[in-house]
Amino acid sequence: MQRNNKRSIPAKLTPEVYKALEDIVGTEYVSEDRAVVECYSKFSVDSSGALKKHAKDPSNIPACIVLPANTREVQAVVHVCNRFKVQFIAFSNGMISFSGPTTPEPTVCVHTSRMNRVLEIDENNLTARLEAFADYAQLQADAMKRGLWNGGSPLATTLCKLSSQSAFAGIWQTDHKYGTLSRNIVSIKLVTPTGDILITGSDTVSGMDTFWEYGPGPDLFSLVRGSGGTTGIITEIVVKLHTWPGGPELPEPEAGRPCIQTYTEAKYDTGSPPKHHKPLWVEFPDFETELKALAEIGHAGIGIGLNATGVYNSYYCSQTQEMTLERVKEKFFPPYNCYLILSAIISEKQIDYEEKVCRDIIKEVGGTFLSETYKPEVLDALAPWNLDFVRHVTGFRMNRHAYGASIILGGPITTVAHKTREVWTKSIDTFGETYITDRGGMDDTPFLYSSNHNGRFWLTEADAYPDMTNPELLQKSQALVTSGIVNTIAHQYGPGANGLGVSIEPVTSFFPEVGPNAHHLFRKIRNLFDPNGLCAPGRQVFSKTEYDNFPDDVLADLNKMRQMHGLSTIKKEK
Amino acid sequence: MQAKTLKQELENIAGQSNVIDDENILKQYSQDQSFVAPGKPDMVVFVESVEQIQKVVKLANKTLTPVTPYSSGKNLHGATIPEHGGLILNMSRMKKILEINTEDWFAIVEPGVTYRQLQDTLSRQGYRVMVPYGIVPERSVLSSYLERDPVLASPSFENGNSLILDTELVLPDGELFRTGNWATGGRPGAPNGPIRNTIYRLWTGAQGTLGILTKMGVQIEPLPKAGKIFFIPFQNLSEAIEPIKKIQGKEIGTECFLINSFNLAAVFTEEWEIPETFPAAISASPEFDKARQLLPPWTLIICINGPLRRTEEKTAYETEALKDLCNVLKIDIYESLPDIPEAEVTMLAEMLRPWKALKKFNYKGSVHDLTFKAPLNRLTKLDKTLQDLAQAHGYPLADIGIFLLPLERARAIHCEFDLHCAHSDKREKEKVKALWLQASSSLINSGAYFDRPYGPWAEMIYSRASNYTSMLKKLKSEIDPNNILNPGKLCFGVT
Ligand SMILES: Cc1cc2nc3c(=O)[nH]c(=O)nc-3n(C[C@H](O)[C@H](O)[C@H](O)COP(=O)(O)OP(=O)(O)OC[C@H]3O[C@@H](n4cnc5c(N)ncnc54)[C@H](O)[C@@H]3O)c2cc1C
Repeated sequence: MQRNNKRSIPAKLTPEVYKALEDIVGTEYVSEDRAVVECYSKFSVDSSGALKKHAKDPSNIPACIVLPANTREVQAVVHVCNRFKVQFIAFSNGMISFSGPTTPEPTVCVHTSRMNRVLEIDENNLTARLEAFADYAQLQADAMKRGLWNGGSPLATTLCKLSSQSAFAGIWQTDHKYGTLSRNIVSIKLVTPTGDILITGSDTVSGMDTFWEYGPGPDLFSLVRGSGGTTGIITEIVVKLHTWPGGPELPEPEAGRPCIQTYTEAKYDTGSPPKHHKPLWVEFPDFETELKALAEIGHAGIGIGLNATGVYNSYYCSQTQEMTLERVKEKFFPPYNCYLILSAIISEKQIDYEEKVCRDIIKEVGGTFLSETYKPEVLDALAPWNLDFVRHVTGFRMNRHAYGASIILGGPITTVAHKTREVWTKSIDTFGETYITDRGGMDDTPFLYSSNHNGRFWLTEADAYPDMTNPELLQKSQALVTSGIVNTIAHQYGPGANGLGVSIEPVTSFFPEVGPNAHHLFRKIRNLFDPNGLCAPGRQVFSKTEYDNFPDDVLADLNKMRQMHGLSTIKKEK
Repeated sequence: MQAKTLKQELENIAGQSNVIDDENILKQYSQDQSFVAPGKPDMVVFVESVEQIQKVVKLANKTLTPVTPYSSGKNLHGATIPEHGGLILNMSRMKKILEINTEDWFAIVEPGVTYRQLQDTLSRQGYRVMVPYGIVPERSVLSSYLERDPVLASPSFENGNSLILDTELVLPDGELFRTGNWATGGRPGAPNGPIRNTIYRLWTGAQGTLGILTKMGVQIEPLPKAGKIFFIPFQNLSEAIEPIKKIQGKEIGTECFLINSFNLAAVFTEEWEIPETFPAAISASPEFDKARQLLPPWTLIICINGPLRRTEEKTAYETEALKDLCNVLKIDIYESLPDIPEAEVTMLAEMLRPWKALKKFNYKGSVHDLTFKAPLNRLTKLDKTLQDLAQAHGYPLADIGIFLLPLERARAIHCEFDLHCAHSDKREKEKVKALWLQASSSLINSGAYFDRPYGPWAEMIYSRASNYTSMLKKLKSEIDPNNILNPGKLCFGVT
């Protein structure tokens, strides 16, 4: 590989802007130190960001980091950015792509880390009010003491913040009963890109309690959810709480659940299931049987979590990367499987009943329960899930080699599962894999999450795991995902619609098939919130300026991809 | 001259017989049974396709003509009364159930499909759609879901809420837009999207001001194999609060509501028909008078459903849990009502077709509800607020009908407090209207959240939510710059 001698120099703010920020938060809480800003420039699931690093392109590096203490300070920072026409972006953990600035303009990174409190657990209205940086683990610890919980956590681990997840995703292992995070938000407090405050739900009407998520009249929260931060900075979020029969504390292993590379013993991430909960694992002979069983179990309306786990088991349940690779090679984990989490909310008999129903279905459809007598070593190895379905810890092992990009589709199970496998297989066949585990979803089941209690609709996932130090593999991983998504859209299917299409959202502006012309409406909405075009540049949908400036050579590549999948080429709209 | 040209252009789009400007017919569209001030449209246009709707909306933009979307006109809260004339875009003839998918449990309906039509069709195939209590059976399912009418299963987080899947709509500029899986033009069956969001929710509670829905996917599910009704009587509202919280906290039952003796008696009054027009004809009923004396002041009704698999086992453990809880709470629970023969049978049938609740309209012809959401622990105070006001206004307390529906395991309560009056008796109407207006504002002052602000409630609510209102107004002018769609509704007054 040729050495790139170019120097990477991030854009800087003018001293005037920097001083204005210092005046708001104090000198202690703002920094443009190169060592500090660099830390905010590398993210998970961000092949394009990693490629910028290889190219010594500094545009992922923010000009400064500012740490406001409260909503008022966030507002003041946003006002400064508007006064000086400086771009800004909210930042929590940086665990997802597009977190850093994507333009070469100097960008203020608003890190919410000082706003990290669970402000209230309201047992009457079954809600919890959190500051922007409060995470799932904090919330669950507080709520469970009162016999309540929020309904789930993402594999990205419980370190994720509910605020950033609402701007981004919020897919949980227990979506089957509780739906994704979007179904669980009662209210948000948002500092809009112009520095105003927008509150949603009943909370927005003075004198009302925070208890109802809609209105008044049309629901503006719908524009914030999934906006990737383009509608402003969420400073508070109120989420729903549900009955938690699992006791005031989770049965954590003695040494905690560190999930650190050097802790290689299973005992550190293996606990028993919470009280009044029972996971069931089933192995299937093939994909079709798995799908049939999932559909039937879904329709039975039992359990709180219903998912199929493919290559992910080899990551989450393996304490080292060597173990992961070995288990992938040996096909240690059943390639076709599902797990169902039973919970005794009504009474202990609920678990008995639901288990019987599950066993009836497996008997009818085919499949074998993992048990003390059938593959006990596999069941043992799967034990991290006993707690991870509630409070996820081991998911970050997906990042151990590198989690580069994903395709996530959504819809009814039979179609969506097959479509994921089909488009991902075509991607891999065309471009080749970047790493052995990219084959997850082809040689085994894609990840399937039931997202509706009766199993009406599901999310699926297939991923690329490129070596981040190798730009060729990073490019390949981008090609895999883009091809997968274009192919999906060409089949009039999902990611543009329901799934995430991680790393590609703004590019949807070049897919008039979606919506149709969803970008027209979304651009209006972006303009409505952010007339100066300063907040979270280049996310969700391109503003007119970003659209016009989209590089012609990249559009030409995209058009090649469109043609490859039978879509016509497109020109930029004038 | 202008009007004539518009009429001709509309006739070109919809066909001559489908554009109506007959004064008598226009008058029918100018009012409903609510207190919302009458407003006459200039024309009614019956449309039968999405393309026609797009053309009408584009024409309306060109000619700056207001358009009031109309599906069944049975919302009874004045939402389709045009405040600024223009066109009634009548979609009631778009009555097709486009798909019933028994594999993935959804149905696709056009705007004119009614609850009765859909429920009857589905039940023949062993399925059901979730239905709001006391809804007019000829009400459009699409517009009712869009207006967030809470269904009887709303206590259940999983089966009672977020029942909308994919939607297709015409934006205020006449462009087509789809949400959910439909957004890429393919198979429907999931709610989110396009681009990873839940934007369909924007059009809910919007009273047709932000777009015209032309198709909707709604969740359906198999008919329960068995159902069991339980009655828990209470002498006063405050006694019911803790049991509701506990029962819902245990997630027992699918349907559950608290109803007062006035409303419950109306359901059981055989002498009364279910009215078809509103206001309804008044009909005195000694049977009703007797029933409301006999029934307890409050009854909590719970329905435990038996699913297709292991039906009895499921109903048995849920019933046992309910009875155990009542034991702990020291409250009585019954499987029938002593004074009303077969009350449990009537009630079970209401779970699927809750039309009998509409019999209450026989009492005085029109019903003016105060419909809002409130936290459970505010209910007694809100009830008291209304009682005090009713007393001050000389309105008989016994004539207040009340229906309280826990939402999402009682995180919130959907409240309907009804005031009755004879539509044709001007004096009585004025008196009840004065009480209704004052009660609306007093209830809001006491924390009643009118999340669907119809008629005069809009001003009362939006004046307390300045930032939200200003964002809504900006949104409206961004996507409906000519203020074509249902102008004057919500906070979108014509300035
Ligand atoms: C290994 C792995 C597994 C994953 N599994 C899942 C999963 O199972 N389910 C799932 O949902 N996701 C998953 N993800 C992706 C997940 O959505 C993100 O990891 C998560 O949302 C990132 O949270 P964060 O706090 O790190 O946000 P960041 O990365 O800091 O921010 C995410 C986005 O939100 C914006 N944002 C941040 N804070 C705010 C704020 N206060 N207001 C407005 N916008 C804000 C940012 O600008 C950015 O666009 C996974 C990621 C990884 C790496």
